[in-house]
Amino acid sequence: MDGPLFKRALLGSLSWLSSNHEEVNRLNVFPVPDGDTGTNMLLTLQSAVEDIKESNAAEVSKIAKLASHGSLMGARGNSGVILSQIFRGFARAVEGKSSLTPAELATAFVEAANAAYRAVNKPTEGTILTVAREAGRAASAAADSPDATVPRVIAAAAAGARAAVLKTPSQLQILRDAGVVDAGGFGLQIILEGMLKTVEESESVAALAASRPAAAPAASQVAVALPEEGWGYCTEFLIEGTDLDLERIKNQIEALGNSVLVVGEPELVKVHVHTDDPTRVITLAGGYGKLLKLNVGDMSTQHRRILEGAGQGAGAPRSNGVGVVAVVAGSGLVQIFRGLGVDAIVEGGQTMNPSTQDMLTAIESVPYDEVILLANNKNVILAAKQVLGLTKKNVHVIETHSVPQGVAAVVAFRGDRSGADNLAAMKAEAQRVQTIEVTHAVRDTRSNGLKVKKGDVIGLINDKLEFAGTDYGEVVNKALSKLGADSYELVTVYRGEGASDDELQKLESDIRSTHPGLEIEVQQGGQQHYPFILSVE
Amino acid sequence: MKRSFAVVTDSTADLPDAWRERYDIEVVPLKVLFGEETFRDGVDMSNEEFFARLATSSKLPTTSAPSPGEFAELYTRLAKDHDGCISIHIGRQLSATVEAARVGAQAVDGFRVSVIDSETVTMPMAFLCRVAAECTTLDEAAAAVEKRIPRCRVLALLDTLRYIEMGGRVSRAQAMIGTMLDLKPLLLVVDREIKPVDRVRTRSRAIPRMVEFFEKDMPVEHVGVVHAQAPEEAELIAADLRRRLPGLEVPVGQIGCVLGTHTGPKALGLVYIKK
Repeated sequence: MDGPLFKRALLGSLSWLSSNHEEVNRLNVFPVPDGDTGTNMLLTLQSAVEDIKESNAAEVSKIAKLASHGSLMGARGNSGVILSQIFRGFARAVEGKSSLTPAELATAFVEAANAAYRAVNKPTEGTILTVAREAGRAASAAADSPDATVPRVIAAAAAGARAAVLKTPSQLQILRDAGVVDAGGFGLQIILEGMLKTVEESESVAALAASRPAAAPAASQVAVALPEEGWGYCTEFLIEGTDLDLERIKNQIEALGNSVLVVGEPELVKVHVHTDDPTRVITLAGGYGKLLKLNVGDMSTQHRRILEGAGQGAGAPRSNGVGVVAVVAGSGLVQIFRGLGVDAIVEGGQTMNPSTQDMLTAIESVPYDEVILLANNKNVILAAKQVLGLTKKNVHVIETHSVPQGVAAVVAFRGDRSGADNLAAMKAEAQRVQTIEVTHAVRDTRSNGLKVKKGDVIGLINDKLEFAGTDYGEVVNKALSKLGADSYELVTVYRGEGASDDELQKLESDIRSTHPGLEIEVQQGGQQHYPFILSVE
Repeated sequence: MKRSFAVVTDSTADLPDAWRERYDIEVVPLKVLFGEETFRDGVDMSNEEFFARLATSSKLPTTSAPSPGEFAELYTRLAKDHDGCISIHIGRQLSATVEAARVGAQAVDGFRVSVIDSETVTMPMAFLCRVAAECTTLDEAAAAVEKRIPRCRVLALLDTLRYIEMGGRVSRAQAMIGTMLDLKPLLLVVDREIKPVDRVRTRSRAIPRMVEFFEKDMPVEHVGVVHAQAPEEAELIAADLRRRLPGLEVPVGQIGCVLGTHTGPKALGLVYIKK
């Protein structure tokens, strides 16, 4: 291989990577607009090829040196830096050579990989490094064959790279979890394949066609398809018990999610499942024995994680050993409490009050011995207190009367603070927030000096009926004025299932025009009976 | 004795305006990319222009480290009139910059570059540069800086988690922020990690919480306030600290474009090196 051929090969790599870099980007473990691997490698390669375009050098060493310098100047991102080191190693290996034999080319591939390894402080297998090394090994093996040619060495390197890329998920947990192959390694594979395409065309080695590997697999074929939505929760734990029936546990858990793994001994079973309902899985498994090392991760956020060990996530086991259970009704509100880190939800509230047993079951399902229970409705408090005598767990009931109080309490919960400290902080926060609930009168009545007709819009401030009217905005604005809107900053509107888009928009604009100093945040609460619940703080 | 070595950092140090000249510090810009357009942090675009564009841009910008070649060029230039250089950069866990500096330094023969991974970001890096600049030899500077790295803290109050989450630096779960409510996260950059400290519903309650946390971490050797388009609040916090900590400068710095891409507007930071 001489200078002009190597130049054409690199230009071929650039054009092939250019048409495929989006595929590489799609493999990023972190689906965020930051440092996409394919783009970084493409920009680095562009810079590597920049000066070569103008060069008519006959020697391969000169072209390699230009590529090395150009890629170093243009390296972007970690994969780009490593690619620049690959070019650097290659250039060093071919120094002083005007043309390469198949064996020399293979050596240069090996040296390129070595240089890449040296550039990284702690080399990780299952990355572009492994792919570079395996490409070098395959190239060396091909060069040892008596009928070795330059195209065959490159073909072997590309095939070696592809085989290594396909293995990367077995080497790196993070890839396995995301269901993708390593993006940087795949980028390198594309670069080698681009080189191969060009060299094949140049030398028109028809004989090679038989041994040529299939074209680059599209990323969508390489990657396990990612679910469009509903990532669910990656739930893992151990069950400690006696005579555990693995098959039975597996069957039951399979009904609740996918990617199910149930392995172990009759005394200790490891369970892994991706589920939308970790609470049910935990409740089910808790029936078999003691749960250990429980870990529930929200996968939609989990796969964005860059910093390992930051802990404290909703799914990470808490250092304080305190769990939180909340009584909540309404699909949106359930999501909100869950998102704030509540371990188990008891469905219920306004009119369908949950039983003591419902709450007891939820408390027992939580893998902590100390549990804080949020009633979130004054009609639930009594039943909640009954739980205290029915469990060995250390249960505290916080007598939150409303959704806003419950949310304020949960926001104040911290996994690194003792149960007692959390209780004090949560109670204080619950007291601080003001609640306005808006509903329709179910019958004619007189209350708190107000005459109310059935169907009227009524507004309650902290459980007390204060205003009646015909319009949501009017009632809410009166309530806000009574609270003294000037001393507050934020109104959170939890929209119930009975409120239409128009009603919501009108309420928002009514509040804005009467109380322009308040910030308004709308949340889909989905609660029944109360078109609007407002939190004022 | 005048020091004979150069002090280099990158644009994420958010160096107070006067310090570059006062301590003779070289700043290598990181880059911000709005689609195909690349801007050098603090060079091609002012902070005001950046945040104005961030607010109106439908797609978030991305950020990228300087290239090894850019470092090699700077080191080559510095080698003419210095006998060495300390190059203090944004933590490896957050950016490839320190890696680029290391590779760039290898490309310059016969010039000693001590590349330091600060493990942190924003003004603690500026404090480290000041510590280095006040030393007389490169060895002394490197030792003084290394000793302080574990004591650097960035206490950050974000107005929204949106930007840091989109940038992939922290997930909502990590920040103890639910997926629904718009909570203000208070985060601490320490030991190469971003740890959640607290979560608060409203900004007016979040600032006192930030100061309370800082008070528990006293005494401090250096302290400053950084902000992204929130100068009044930053000055108020700084003035309060100056009153309580006589003898400390308490500089106020602006969060630059690259870091601003991840913090978003209205972020506030209390940054310090513990004693």
